[in-house]
Amino acid sequence: MKFSKWFIFVLMFALSAVVFGQEKENLPITEDEQEKKLEWNGNLDVKYSLFNMDQNSAQYKLQFFKDPPSTSLLSQYRIEPYLNAEYRSNDLGFVLKTHASYYSDSNSRFDLFEAYASFNPSFNTNLQAGKRVYSWGKGYAFNPVGFVNPVKDPENPELAQAGLLSANIEYVKSFSSEALQSFSFLAVLIPTSDIAGTSFGEFTNTDIALKSSFLLWDTDIDLLAYYSVNKPKRFGFDFARNIQDNIEIHGEISFNQNVEKFTIINNSLTNNRVDRYSYLFGLRYLDASNTTIIAEYYHTGAGLSKDEYSQYSEFLKIGADNLNSIVAQQTLNTSLTYFRGTTLMQDYLYLKVSQPEPFDWLYFTPSLYTIYNLMDNSFLLSFQMSYKPVTNTEFIFWTTMFVGDRSTEYGGKQVQQRMELWMRVFF
Amino acid sequence: MKILSMFIITILFALNITAQDANKLLKEVDDNLMPESYESIRKLINEESDGSKKEFTFYTVKKGKDKIAMLYISPASEKGRSTLRLGENMWLYIPSANRPIRITSLQSVVGGVFNNADIMQLEYSTEYGATYSKGTDTENILDLKAKNKTVAYDKLKMWITKDKKILRKVEAYSASGMLIKTLEFKDDKNYGGGITRPSIIETYSPLYKGYRSLMIYQTIKKRQFPDEVFTQNYMGRLGDLKK
Repeated sequence: MKFSKWFIFVLMFALSAVVFGQEKENLPITEDEQEKKLEWNGNLDVKYSLFNMDQNSAQYKLQFFKDPPSTSLLSQYRIEPYLNAEYRSNDLGFVLKTHASYYSDSNSRFDLFEAYASFNPSFNTNLQAGKRVYSWGKGYAFNPVGFVNPVKDPENPELAQAGLLSANIEYVKSFSSEALQSFSFLAVLIPTSDIAGTSFGEFTNTDIALKSSFLLWDTDIDLLAYYSVNKPKRFGFDFARNIQDNIEIHGEISFNQNVEKFTIINNSLTNNRVDRYSYLFGLRYLDASNTTIIAEYYHTGAGLSKDEYSQYSEFLKIGADNLNSIVAQQTLNTSLTYFRGTTLMQDYLYLKVSQPEPFDWLYFTPSLYTIYNLMDNSFLLSFQMSYKPVTNTEFIFWTTMFVGDRSTEYGGKQVQQRMELWMRVFF
Repeated sequence: MKILSMFIITILFALNITAQDANKLLKEVDDNLMPESYESIRKLINEESDGSKKEFTFYTVKKGKDKIAMLYISPASEKGRSTLRLGENMWLYIPSANRPIRITSLQSVVGGVFNNADIMQLEYSTEYGATYSKGTDTENILDLKAKNKTVAYDKLKMWITKDKKILRKVEAYSASGMLIKTLEFKDDKNYGGGITRPSIIETYSPLYKGYRSLMIYQTIKKRQFPDEVFTQNYMGRLGDLKK
């Protein structure tokens, strides 16, 4: 019954937004506006990577237990085409974003990142249905309030990712007040197909995500919520503000109810439900020489404690040292299913420094960033150099090293150093 | 003593009148440059010291004194990016990240000599107070002082033709008095709708030796927009207005 009330509330709000929004629909439509247009664009990324592997790490032994390579230096070559189409008319739109990864004829993958239709009954209101990407939160590398976001890669936060199959309605209103300058409300319905082995889902398992945004006293403020019958319920708040003309500060906090937390106890996978807070504080600073510094502190309440990580690490080691290939495979599957991601523990510091065209190096933008695990003092350190010699072409040189004892999160990675060369061509 | 007091009051009064005239002239300059609400397409060309060029094309919409939004039309690598300025608040929208992030007005999103404040320029009279400086036979010269610290340049010196009150040159200075850049306004063009103004703004800076940036206005058209166009929510849909 609780669900029905939410559903009716969202539906009523959606209908009122459409009706209310249409009050302003009295602007003249010019001839140009009536022109319909389909546009194609995209890019091709060609990526060559070299990996210096730690052959003694448990993760390496598990990954390559069937056929261990003879050398610790591995390479990977792949192409990633991104192809997008966009159709817009006065009040209708269609967006298609696709991505593919090609390693060889027998190893390639196609991803439908986004495919959604939109209808704008007024400037205030926007209806969308299909698969689309949401990006909630103000953090650059992490988003504790990103309840509907794709899992972000903190090593490359601006990378395009796959969206969520959903339908949403957004209502926006501007004000001429000095205090409240704008308000918006977004409601997202997320149907599920959770009946195993079928394409059906239970209607009552439809999730709802809500976001209210305010531009209040020159500060961006969001209130967010995620309601689900069988997934964690989440509530969040975020803000961003320029405190000086060259300093921006931002923060996020979320309360997550009934989160499923996986740990290893006595060498076995265990899960329990917990209520946890996650939060982030950060700043973006621009100095007189055009250097940008982004710094963020991130706490994820449902992450592993130091002791829990030690047990997980020991679990990997036992699995890797076991001569039984079934045990090794099970250990690897557990690791890939329940413990994947760049941040498994609770407290992290992210720092990025970038400087466009230093020392008059035309078209070069070097940047240095680190993700530092504050619980076990391991970290990754990465240097990236972007070079754009001609329009619509970019070359990226990117090297990363993982530092720490083998029992730590980053020190225990199967990769010790990674070097990548990218060529990106846009059209 | 009484005579001295009257003399000082008279001087102060005269200075106040002069400042009022200067601000009135500044407002006229603004009015001659752009309608209060408009849409325009302009090209930005960054010429590097080795002679190579980079070009960007923007679609810009502006409303009132403090709302301006800009969409990258080309090149393909930047297409779909947009920036929004509401007073001193500024955001950048990156299509792949699909969200607006707050940026500072000093940050350059295109490289070269122009920074965001130049590209997303609001009216001069909104951000600066003016006083007369010594002019020439054909041009008035105004000294402008920023009304608050969030404005990109602390002081401006402005050359304005006496006959048509058209802007010809602006020098931008830091608070310490250092020349940061010079903007020259050239090639007057009639855009229709009663808008005649310089079509090219050429910018160079002693801080970027050998660099030069040109901003070329291709179209300027008066147009009214609802306030909701100037919200973060609309940044991904700015292209809808152009079609």
